[in-house]
Amino acid sequence: MNLQRVVAIAGKEWREIVRDRLFFTLAFVVPALLMLLFGYGLSLDVENIPFAVVDHDRSAASRDYAYRFIDSRYFRFRGYAGDERDAAQLIGSGAVRVVLVIPPQFGKTLAQARPAAIQTLVDGSFPSRAMTTKGYVTAINAAFSLAAVAQAVSHATGLSQQDALAQLTPIALESRYLYNQSVSSIWSLAPKLIMVILMLSPPFLTALGVVREKENGSIFNIYASNVSRGEFLVGKLAPYVAISSVNILLLWLLAVLLYQVPFKGSLLFFLPATLVYVLCTTGIGLLVSVLVRTQVAAMIVTMVVTMIPAVLYSGLIIPIVSLGAGAHVVAQLMPAMYYTDIVVGCFLKGVGLMSLWRPLAVLALYACLLFAAGYQLFSKRPNI
Amino acid sequence: MSDTIIKASGFGKQYGGQFAVQGLDLEVHRGELYGLIGPDGAGKSSLMKAVAGVLSYEQGQLEVFGQLLDSERHAEAIKGRIGLMPQGLGQNLYGDLSIEENVDFFARLRLVPREEAAARKEQLLAITRLAAFRHRPMKQLSGGMKQKLGLVCTLIHAPQLIILDEPTTGVDPVSRRDFWAILATLIAGQGLTALVSTAYMDEASRFTRMSLLHQGSKLAEGSPAQILQRVPGCIVQCRVQPQLSAMQRLVARWPQCEAMGPEIRLFMPEPDQPAARQQVVDVLQGLECQQLDVLDAELEDVFVAMLGGKQTGTTAPDTMAAPAAPGSASQELAIEAKGLVKRFGDFVAVGDVSFQVRQGEIFGLLGANGAGKTTAIKMLTGILPPSSGSGRVAGADMKQAGALIKSRIGYMSQAFSLYLDLSVVENIRLYAGIYGLDRKARDVRLQWILDMAGLHGHENDLAAALPMGLRQRLALGCALVHQPRVLFLDEPTSGVDPLGRRAFWDILFRLSRQDGVAMLVTTHYMSEAEHCDHLALMFAGRVVADASPQQMKQQVLAEAGQLYRVYADNAAALVSPLQAAGFANVSPYGSALHVLTPDVERLQQVLRGLGVERPPQARPIAMEDVFVQRVSQLEAQSHATGSVA
Repeated sequence: MNLQRVVAIAGKEWREIVRDRLFFTLAFVVPALLMLLFGYGLSLDVENIPFAVVDHDRSAASRDYAYRFIDSRYFRFRGYAGDERDAAQLIGSGAVRVVLVIPPQFGKTLAQARPAAIQTLVDGSFPSRAMTTKGYVTAINAAFSLAAVAQAVSHATGLSQQDALAQLTPIALESRYLYNQSVSSIWSLAPKLIMVILMLSPPFLTALGVVREKENGSIFNIYASNVSRGEFLVGKLAPYVAISSVNILLLWLLAVLLYQVPFKGSLLFFLPATLVYVLCTTGIGLLVSVLVRTQVAAMIVTMVVTMIPAVLYSGLIIPIVSLGAGAHVVAQLMPAMYYTDIVVGCFLKGVGLMSLWRPLAVLALYACLLFAAGYQLFSKRPNI
Repeated sequence: MSDTIIKASGFGKQYGGQFAVQGLDLEVHRGELYGLIGPDGAGKSSLMKAVAGVLSYEQGQLEVFGQLLDSERHAEAIKGRIGLMPQGLGQNLYGDLSIEENVDFFARLRLVPREEAAARKEQLLAITRLAAFRHRPMKQLSGGMKQKLGLVCTLIHAPQLIILDEPTTGVDPVSRRDFWAILATLIAGQGLTALVSTAYMDEASRFTRMSLLHQGSKLAEGSPAQILQRVPGCIVQCRVQPQLSAMQRLVARWPQCEAMGPEIRLFMPEPDQPAARQQVVDVLQGLECQQLDVLDAELEDVFVAMLGGKQTGTTAPDTMAAPAAPGSASQELAIEAKGLVKRFGDFVAVGDVSFQVRQGEIFGLLGANGAGKTTAIKMLTGILPPSSGSGRVAGADMKQAGALIKSRIGYMSQAFSLYLDLSVVENIRLYAGIYGLDRKARDVRLQWILDMAGLHGHENDLAAALPMGLRQRLALGCALVHQPRVLFLDEPTSGVDPLGRRAFWDILFRLSRQDGVAMLVTTHYMSEAEHCDHLALMFAGRVVADASPQQMKQQVLAEAGQLYRVYADNAAALVSPLQAAGFANVSPYGSALHVLTPDVERLQQVLRGLGVERPPQARPIAMEDVFVQRVSQLEAQSHATGSVA
């Protein structure tokens, strides 16, 4: 390994990246932009669900019931609808996602201590959102029912309403969410976004950078000289690893400062561990670049081999434990899952090397294997 | 140490089961400028890459510096002593880096010691006259400068063997001549051996020795003189009225016969020139013969003659179905450009271009890559709006009737614009569909195109599987499917072998003469310009000359005199004494010199004073000489006025 050659190649590469406006943007602007777009666009919290009410009763009780929803931060009231047909139209047009239909005689039925039925129409076009919505509706409805029963009991027994309520719920469920006290989805999302972006950006840059030389023919300068394969690969990839290192810091700052995600772990562990992950994903880019010949092919292949594992098999949207048996095995084979453990552990759990050495070791092994394969497959005397 | 630098025996290279080169033997000796000549697909690049150790091969053996190249490790052993400049103008250089940064990168890559690198860099930049532009990014250089920078980068580590793959393709003739002169200087001065490929036959005379390659095998090898002797014969060039009937008579007797604008040029396997003249005069009995010259054969003629036996039956039919609207008056203007300008930001791609093309005329737009030819065509065909200026095409205003123009013209682009994964018939049907032909008209045109392009037997072949020549004629057929009156051809012959190019020009000639189709053709092959009735030379976005080839030559003749070829053992050494003696237009031509002068007596005197007894031989002026003359004049003018173009 001759250092002068490595430096020559790295220096040339760096100049090209910095002077090529498109490449520069791809290297430094796109990762941060992805963080912003994904962060604001992919929030899984369901709040402010627009809803309407069809009130056939128009009694104090029906208004009381509706106000339970109107006051909730989970729902945003869009007004009363005349009848079910109007309501269906509102849902169809997407103006509201939930409609409550309060039947005639609702107040009277309740007053007579007989069960009343409320019809709830929920837009089911996004199943997970519909499920969450149904959960909110059920909870508010239960609270209303309980209050109604408590009122009846306090009337009958002379107990205060609060005591009656306490008697009615002998077991109170006290949940405390660990690691993400407010169950805010951005807290769990932002660290995972770092995982996704560092899965996409380094391989893209690397694959394009190497294949660009192949496509326009400047790779022949390397083939036709005494530069060794190792010197070329180290010199060529070093600038991309350096860029990604800057991006690690940038993404971490965005998560902590913009999204206000608490960082409980140690940067001294997080940064080196992330660098190992970046080396690993850079290795993916290298492997793609030795296998394809055009930049278009490099882009498509990189997209397929990085995007799918990063989104589906990483725990970003679906927790690994909820995956099917086959998918579970696939996830174990992909590097993304291991880094998810590390990044979530560092941000939310505050754990370090002691509990995360295993995923780190897997990533390191991964990086070594990818580089070894890339080195073996890269030939200075190819047959095409 | 042996004097054999490269030795190939039975060399073969295949891609996906098909051999690009097969059973090739050749030897290159120390100090030679060895040429590989042939069209695209002849196997030049494969051989050169294999010699450079950057491509593995399947057949035979390849030894470079006595080292057998049979593995990546063995190939490494020679790489310190070679320099490779791959195909494509400046493609191996780094666009965002300046000239100096490019050179420095190559020097560091090759571990050239700092002082030595600095000294060589200055020396090479001085020889190539690039020193003044050292901080300019590579991507902003002209084609000729890129090519010289590529040469500097290839030479920075003082290799013993340099391998240059088509270094002159697409470069203007002035830069090409400059390049060859620099290369000759370097080879003589530094004991270099060079393996150089080219697709231009007229460059062949510059090589010490060479191989003519065709479809992966060697047709001939030797010095230019030796190859010329392989097929003894001469060229007869004549101007006869009526041209069409003269052509028919001559072709019947000598098939290697082509129309060049108003002239006819034919190769005759008869080395005795007076006898050749008599034979032609006999054949042309009864026609009005205005002019008749007998000349030495050129390498291209010999190449075509050698291929003659291999020619497949693809000659065009004698009569073509006439287009729907025949016989428009020949004075009618088919294309008229008035002051066309196209700017891209600060860059003026086309500056104030005007010309006229009459119906039935072949109009040539000549210039190097980047001279603005393609941009001009795109404006006239309505693909690109001009920044200013106006034009009429096929009777419609270019600005207002874009769609109308498109239905009246045919356009064949550089890349041939065929769908390579469709068959021949499918391609034709597709174009017929695009132009809205009904089923009956379509079938008629289909037959016509198959006849015209000689595609019978290939109807169901994929376009990708056709040889370049056939592919080119298929593209022409597709451009003619709707019987346009005006045809635009953008570099229709690049990459096609001489035989294919001749057949193609033959078709164009007939289309113009029999069917009255007007054609605008661009080319960077100067030799093809002779086929045109009228020419416009473009240089840096401007038309620098606009006349018929004959008029242009006459003008050069009037301004600079007759062209003479000077044969001498030490021709290169005579350049500066001749220039000192007042002969401004002297350039090396292979092992000889080309001199333009009105006073041959004085030339002969001066030559005798320099010890050259053999009298200079008068040669007809070629279009390349015209171009070089024009551009040199322009450059001299702009230097004189102080403005740098």
